[in-house]
Amino acid sequence: MFRFQSLDEDCTLEEEDDGGLIEEEDEINQFNDDTFGAGAIDDDWQEEHKRLTGLQGGTGLGAGLGGGGGMGGKSDLGGAFDSSSSHLHSSAGQLPLPPSLTFSLSSSGLPPPDVEDRAGEGGLAESLARLILEADPAITGVGAAAPPPCSSGSSLCALQGLEQPMVLPQPSSIPHLNQLHQHPHHQLPPGPSSGLPPGLPPSSMLSYQQQQHLLRRGTAPMAQMNSHSIWENSMGFGPVSISLGMVTHMEDSPLMSIINEVGLPARPPQGRSDEGRDLSERVPPPRSSSPVIGSPPVRAVPIGTPPTQPMSHALNHQIHHPTAVHVRAPIQHRYPPPFPERLSPNTLLNIANSPLCRGPFPPGVGPVLSQIQRAQLLNSQMAEWARRPPHCPPNHTPPIRHNTTHLHPQHRRMLTQRMQNRGVDRGRTGGDRRSRDPYSNLMSQKEKEWVTKIQMMQLQSTDPYLDDYYYQNYYEKMEKRQERERDSSKKEHTTKLITPQVAKVEHTYRPVQFAGSLGKLTVSSVNNPRKMIDAVVTSRTDDEEKREKQVWNKRRQILYTVEKMYSLLLEVQDFEKRFVQAPEEDREALLEQHKGRTLQLCNALREKEWDDRVSDEQCVMIMSVRKGKRLISRLLPFLPSPQAAAVVMAISRNLPALAKKDKQDQVLCWLVEPVAAVIQSLCSSALTDLLQELQGSEGQLASVLHNKFGVTLLYLILSEGERMQSSDANCQLMDDNRWTELVFSVTRELLSVPPSSLSPPLFTPPNLLSLFSRYVDRQRLELLQDKLQITSLSR
Amino acid sequence: MNYVPGTASLIDDIDKKHLVLLRDGRTLIGYLRSIDQFANLVFHQTVERIHVGKKFGDIPRGIFIVRGENVVLLGEIDMDKPSDTVLQQVSIEEILEEQRLQQQSKQETEKVKMLALKDRGLSIPKADNLDEY
Repeated sequence: MFRFQSLDEDCTLEEEDDGGLIEEEDEINQFNDDTFGAGAIDDDWQEEHKRLTGLQGGTGLGAGLGGGGGMGGKSDLGGAFDSSSSHLHSSAGQLPLPPSLTFSLSSSGLPPPDVEDRAGEGGLAESLARLILEADPAITGVGAAAPPPCSSGSSLCALQGLEQPMVLPQPSSIPHLNQLHQHPHHQLPPGPSSGLPPGLPPSSMLSYQQQQHLLRRGTAPMAQMNSHSIWENSMGFGPVSISLGMVTHMEDSPLMSIINEVGLPARPPQGRSDEGRDLSERVPPPRSSSPVIGSPPVRAVPIGTPPTQPMSHALNHQIHHPTAVHVRAPIQHRYPPPFPERLSPNTLLNIANSPLCRGPFPPGVGPVLSQIQRAQLLNSQMAEWARRPPHCPPNHTPPIRHNTTHLHPQHRRMLTQRMQNRGVDRGRTGGDRRSRDPYSNLMSQKEKEWVTKIQMMQLQSTDPYLDDYYYQNYYEKMEKRQERERDSSKKEHTTKLITPQVAKVEHTYRPVQFAGSLGKLTVSSVNNPRKMIDAVVTSRTDDEEKREKQVWNKRRQILYTVEKMYSLLLEVQDFEKRFVQAPEEDREALLEQHKGRTLQLCNALREKEWDDRVSDEQCVMIMSVRKGKRLISRLLPFLPSPQAAAVVMAISRNLPALAKKDKQDQVLCWLVEPVAAVIQSLCSSALTDLLQELQGSEGQLASVLHNKFGVTLLYLILSEGERMQSSDANCQLMDDNRWTELVFSVTRELLSVPPSSLSPPLFTPPNLLSLFSRYVDRQRLELLQDKLQITSLSR
Repeated sequence: MNYVPGTASLIDDIDKKHLVLLRDGRTLIGYLRSIDQFANLVFHQTVERIHVGKKFGDIPRGIFIVRGENVVLLGEIDMDKPSDTVLQQVSIEEILEEQRLQQQSKQETEKVKMLALKDRGLSIPKADNLDEY
């Protein structure tokens, strides 16, 4: 508004600076847009006016419009007019102006000479004005004060003013506005003074309030004529009274101009104390996009507001009468009627004026208690009614059903007794006193229940021992004491305390899943945001993890090694076939390949640091796996003899360990043949060494004998030794006493070992007997024979 | 006990005459009209009773709404019981005067005490400023 004033002063429209004017107009338009929103029309009202006059066919109003159009060029007023009219452009776009409002505008802008110019042209306007003046006594009264020509002129002004809003918005931009223009245009003849009395002097200034009153008053007579006038409906005026005192000087005050442009705000409709609307104002509208699944229930009333209207007994039903189906309350309803007989003035006021007229929960929300709770209540109620005394004192209020399910039975009994006593004593006096107090029952039953409900909710717990420790403990102790007292006599009377608890409801979100579908639905809401990743945390201790890891890693490594060696081995094994099949020229290459591979194999068995020795560890490692044992058995024939010997040595050295791992004896026995082959290729010293290795530490031989393979191996060695001795006279086996000693120890061991622990070998070489006969005496020989079941003919 | 057996509730105290002692030391007597889950109290026909020595005075206050956290204790006044006390009721002006005198004397003693302590180099912080327990 201040801007307008400044514009009025600053605007030098004598120059008719279009650029400057346009800029200001744009500014104003922008201001308009910012205030009232887009949709402002940026058009020339003059053109629009011309168009409309063309349409109208040149009535007196049209002439008036022409005159009004002519006004636009005026110097000091024009600027203001333009500025305000451009305002009208935009505002008219949104709010169809009541014709009444523009009266002041036009009147403010019109200098007297213009009025007089139009006086002759506005014949129709005059008649209309007179009609209106006659119709409304107040206006007549007002109009009487003003000079007649002025009044007619002002009526014309009014009409012209009325025209302005219609003229100004241009037809081009917004199509619907055309209709608007047409509409008021047609309505114009009957309704020029649908607001301000035309009788008002143009220079009168009305305060905001007064104008509002006028406007309001003005629509009354028009109501019948323009029942569907957009102007009226938009403003929603009501009848107002006008008084003489209200007629004041109307000036081009900024406030007035604002009022003219904007129009007055609609008065809130009275008498329609719409409960829902009030509530909805306090609460954001329900989310249209919120999915039902998992969303919080839409509340019209914020949580925590106390109830005001008598509830539909929802709570009471829940607490005291679980379901109508199950329980037909035989007791008289204790709830007071909606409007009790004795109402205090305060109560009445409360009821009448309370903005929250609904219960705390909208009807859509289900009952508070869950299924379990309801069942519990039902049980408790049945128990209660069974125990209740058949009658009650007349003055006593009907007994209230309590939720005593969570209480200890003894506690419950005490309470009921107490209540009965109290009821007898106090029933009369309390009632009397309360009846005399005019301010009683300010807190309605519903409100009491509401508070109680909140308190009860706070008592609910999933873990009573945690939340209500002392109560639980106290009653437990009491029970124990009772049990101790009447231990022997009445055991059946002591009942076990069963405290019903609130079910521990799992509130974790489980996404909706359809059977047989892939993946999960993406329905999500505030309470259940979708799970992006189904990450499950498995917590394991570090040590455990490390150990497990180590074990697995090692095994994996072994298996890997075994696999690699196998592939080499297979290649080596297939060499023969390929060699035969290969043509001449390729054979050398193949041979080379073969050699290389064999070498690799050998290397695989070697230790990391020492390249020349077969690694004991490696062998054992490989042999710890079943596949590894098989591998070795197949590998042995391909290894060069020293290495093969070393492998066999390693085997014999570690036989107990290997045997332990291979309890079934099935895998090691594969090794027999290749090992036998190796042994046969051994020299005497090596053989001795082997035997020594086999014997190893104390007790190793025993465990060896325990094992099938071990026994077989032993026999093989011995038989080989025997063969050597028997075949070759100057074998070096007897050169040092080692062999003899070893054999002696072996025989000793064989004799001492119990027959049960001696496992039968895979086969018994035939020359063992001759071997033993060499070293042991007859007696022992016989013993050995029996034990080992070796005969000259045995295989 | 009426509504919620096994618990304490103010529901049964509604529309009865109560005496409430507030944290700031005031004593109010009035009819308890309404409560809520925080034990905010609505008192009707409230009277503030000031006690000075053996005398007391009642100042009518009208309707009081007490925030629950400021209540020290609340007790029902049994109207049936005969109220024979040694206390003597006086007019409001008198009791206010008495109270003022009492406060004055207390302040003086406090001042003297503080001075004495200061002389000895000791200081006791004023506990009434701190609202921490």
